[in-house]
Amino acid sequence: MMKTENRLLDVKDLTIEIDTRSGPATIVDSIDLHVGKGETLGVVGESGCGKSLTMLSLMRLLPNKIRVAKGEAHFDDRDLQKMSNRELRKVRGGDIGFVFQDPMTSLNPVMRIGDQLAEPLIYHRGMSRKQARERAIELLRLVGIPGPEERIQAYPHELSGGMRQRVMIAIGLACEPKLLIADEPTTALDVTIQAQIIDLVKGLREKLGMSVVWITHDLALIAGLVDRVVVLYAGTVVEDAPVDELYANPRHPYTRGLLASIPKLSDAPASRLNSIGGTPPEPGRRPQGCPFAPRCPLAMDICRTHVPKLEPISAAGSHRAACFAVEKAREAA
Amino acid sequence: MGAQPLLKIENLVKHFHVRLGAFGERAATVHALDDVSLDILEGETLSLVGESGCGKSTTGFTILNLHRATSGKVLYKGEDLTALDEKRMRPFRRDLQIVFQDPYSTLNPRMTVGEAVGEPILFHKLATKAELDGKVAALLTDVGLPPRFASRYPHELSGGQRQRVVIARALACQPKFIVCDEAISALDVSIQAQIINLLLDLQEKYGLTYLFIAHDLAVVRHISTRVGVMYLGRLAELASRDALFETPLHPYTKALLSAVPETDPEHERSRKRQILQGDVPSPLAPPSGCRFHTRCPIAMEVCRRVVPKWKDARPGHLVACHAVNGE
Amino acid sequence: MSTVQAQPAPLAEEAPVSLWRDAWYRLKRNRLAIFGLCVIVLLAFVALFGPYLTPYDFLSQDLEARNQAPSLAHLFGTDDLGRDVFSRVVYGTRTAFLVAVVVTAIAIVIGTVLGAVAGFFGNPFDRVIMWLTDVTMSVPNLLLVVVINASLKTPIAQWMEARYLETLNPFYRETVWIDFLLVFGSMALISWPPYARLVRAQVLSIRSRPYITAAQALGLSNRIILTRYVIPNALGPLIVAVSAGLGTAMVLESAFSFLGVGVNPPTPSWGNMISDGLRVWQHYPHLLAAPAAVLGLASVAFSFLGDGLNDALNPRGAK
Repeated sequence: MMKTENRLLDVKDLTIEIDTRSGPATIVDSIDLHVGKGETLGVVGESGCGKSLTMLSLMRLLPNKIRVAKGEAHFDDRDLQKMSNRELRKVRGGDIGFVFQDPMTSLNPVMRIGDQLAEPLIYHRGMSRKQARERAIELLRLVGIPGPEERIQAYPHELSGGMRQRVMIAIGLACEPKLLIADEPTTALDVTIQAQIIDLVKGLREKLGMSVVWITHDLALIAGLVDRVVVLYAGTVVEDAPVDELYANPRHPYTRGLLASIPKLSDAPASRLNSIGGTPPEPGRRPQGCPFAPRCPLAMDICRTHVPKLEPISAAGSHRAACFAVEKAREAA
Repeated sequence: MGAQPLLKIENLVKHFHVRLGAFGERAATVHALDDVSLDILEGETLSLVGESGCGKSTTGFTILNLHRATSGKVLYKGEDLTALDEKRMRPFRRDLQIVFQDPYSTLNPRMTVGEAVGEPILFHKLATKAELDGKVAALLTDVGLPPRFASRYPHELSGGQRQRVVIARALACQPKFIVCDEAISALDVSIQAQIINLLLDLQEKYGLTYLFIAHDLAVVRHISTRVGVMYLGRLAELASRDALFETPLHPYTKALLSAVPETDPEHERSRKRQILQGDVPSPLAPPSGCRFHTRCPIAMEVCRRVVPKWKDARPGHLVACHAVNGE
Repeated sequence: MSTVQAQPAPLAEEAPVSLWRDAWYRLKRNRLAIFGLCVIVLLAFVALFGPYLTPYDFLSQDLEARNQAPSLAHLFGTDDLGRDVFSRVVYGTRTAFLVAVVVTAIAIVIGTVLGAVAGFFGNPFDRVIMWLTDVTMSVPNLLLVVVINASLKTPIAQWMEARYLETLNPFYRETVWIDFLLVFGSMALISWPPYARLVRAQVLSIRSRPYITAAQALGLSNRIILTRYVIPNALGPLIVAVSAGLGTAMVLESAFSFLGVGVNPPTPSWGNMISDGLRVWQHYPHLLAAPAAVLGLASVAFSFLGDGLNDALNPRGAK
């Protein structure tokens, strides 16, 4: 198992609740995850699985009525949940950079992009306006925006979707963060632009030596980008494995179903796709026992009454899954 | 292929007129669709792929007369649909249906599932009031929903369930042709596969013809008979599924295929992508000549000046590119 | 791996919930809104049946008992003519509700028709109607009402008197309803533009929703699309506007009556009672306090209910 000292981000037992009419409901249930220094982690899950909330909770940016019920999140050996707001603001945008899904709504429409880039530099790094401006030009060049000297004068609506997402990434990188959290940064983009962004992040990661958390619903997209993958389902981690291991030997029935339902260009075309039946539970209305049990082809009686723990299943301990039927799953393979 | 064309689309053009500037002082034309010709054969699944703004959805909307064509023809049963007003179009609407991208916004939030599915049945007088409940129940069963869902409201259903309702509503008219406009794009991965399988089952059962509009090439490859690739309002390439994926001819098709990520880390890390530089130009001022020439890796002088002809490169394999020789 | 059959839902089935019922549920949880609703229901009850329940006629004078302080016999005391203030406030409630309901109803009909036409059919209707709306909104309300009163009231009253003398038809003798007619007319004339704008904006926004395109793709007719798809979805904001509009109309009626251009004595209105009470408030504060308190209560109640309805019918984000 990876040593704790090498962990940049270490989340333990994180539980998030939402207030509903009938009292608080759990939407993220005891999540354990960690990111090593220089590691790229892919967090995969479908809508409503809690992947975005988990990341927002780290920065204490949860929306109204949603709060962290318990758990710890250590970043660089400091507990993010216990920090004062002042300290936390230094971390946000400073040591941890964020890139959001929709670059149109996450950029301030009435502010020139140069100023939006300069803002964190002046605030976090105490740069002068002039220095910040030069750094902004440098950053735009870094993310591959042509003509950065002119582009810093542009407003967000004057840029294309791909260019805006590059600006978002530049803002996320502005203060040379130790960790970049990207929440579905390419979902709104076309495939050819998506490929550009992925290549850009790959290059930057090596150049800057930072850790990256890449949140997505698309297992294919991150295959060539990440070192390790954490699969979330209905607010719990169901599988956590190094990337090659996960794609070659998925152990949780959900991961297997998900991988099987993604058609490949390299497969022989078949008329029907493999699919997982049923629907994921609504956030906050998770069934008793394993949340995947109602859709699981291997479900046993115990799955409907008890919640499986995330346990190491490989000798090295780097591959973990939360499933009672994991042995059966191996046989089925 | 011996199948007869169900719809013949000839030189279809759709321009949108917009006003730009803070006070709408500049008039401009969006070239959403330019000179698109294709036949849709009976019983086939013809897919249209391309990036946003390429005109694939506009094609679907214009065929169904939901957008009025600027010029060109859509021939169905010997009638040019583009020439029909809404009233004369109505009998054809039954045959030609559409399933939209976003199941959250295409259902009236104030109507129950049963009312939504029953509405076209009553309106087109396909059943009496007494038969209606049974008919709705049968349709819901067809799309894999329990009949008791008839009394539910859309906001009580998940995305996949809503899309099933939308499909049931389209089926209620007993159509021959359905445009699936990004019908699975808004759904979760595990649900996408369910809906695709459902569409394929229904096609088999009712002999439907699909125009499948999508951007996910891997999905398209699994379900299509033929595939068309669009770029900035024009067709770039159209071929049978295997020909398009095995031997793509147009440089844009090649680039598109190389950008599709695969669930294979080894392959993904080692592969050399042919990454297109730059963005899709604005449809307000499309480039002269071949519209792809600004991003094309093999653009020649002629591509800047002359619009490439839409020609058969091989039998049934149409392409618009100067670098590809015709037959 | 093959397709897994969908399992029966593990959670208990719940009855279907329409958006209306959902809104009612949200409204029920809003204490202020429910308080407002209770006050309004009580006042409406008083307006309907009050005059049959009060111990005194609102006009009957008892010169033996003038300007009395509140007591068990006269809950709110009596005024300078010995009339029971409680009975007059009750009757004033009737006036206020009558004016508010009729004026709002007229304003909604005018506003909805004009707004729907402008939104659905577009130019040139849109341009003309919006021009008319802007013009109406730019006229100072009070001035318009004063002008209507001054220019129309006397001639109509004179004409009525002449007709009465000519025909001796009792219909022409009763002139109280002229007051109401003028109040209704002039207030409706200035109240419709907000409804027209609201309905137009709603229709415009709903017309571009995908479910309208979907309905067109099904081949449904414009009439069905308008009645089954557009209107039900436009009702939410309109209901909120009506609730707020009723409160505003009530306050407006009192204001006009206070200034002497609304309902005139002896017909009781909260406004003219406040006006009368104001002159002697240092000696007989109850004459001012009773109608003012009820007016304040009614105004606050409508405002609470309007806010509550807005939260219930147009929820943002929270579910």
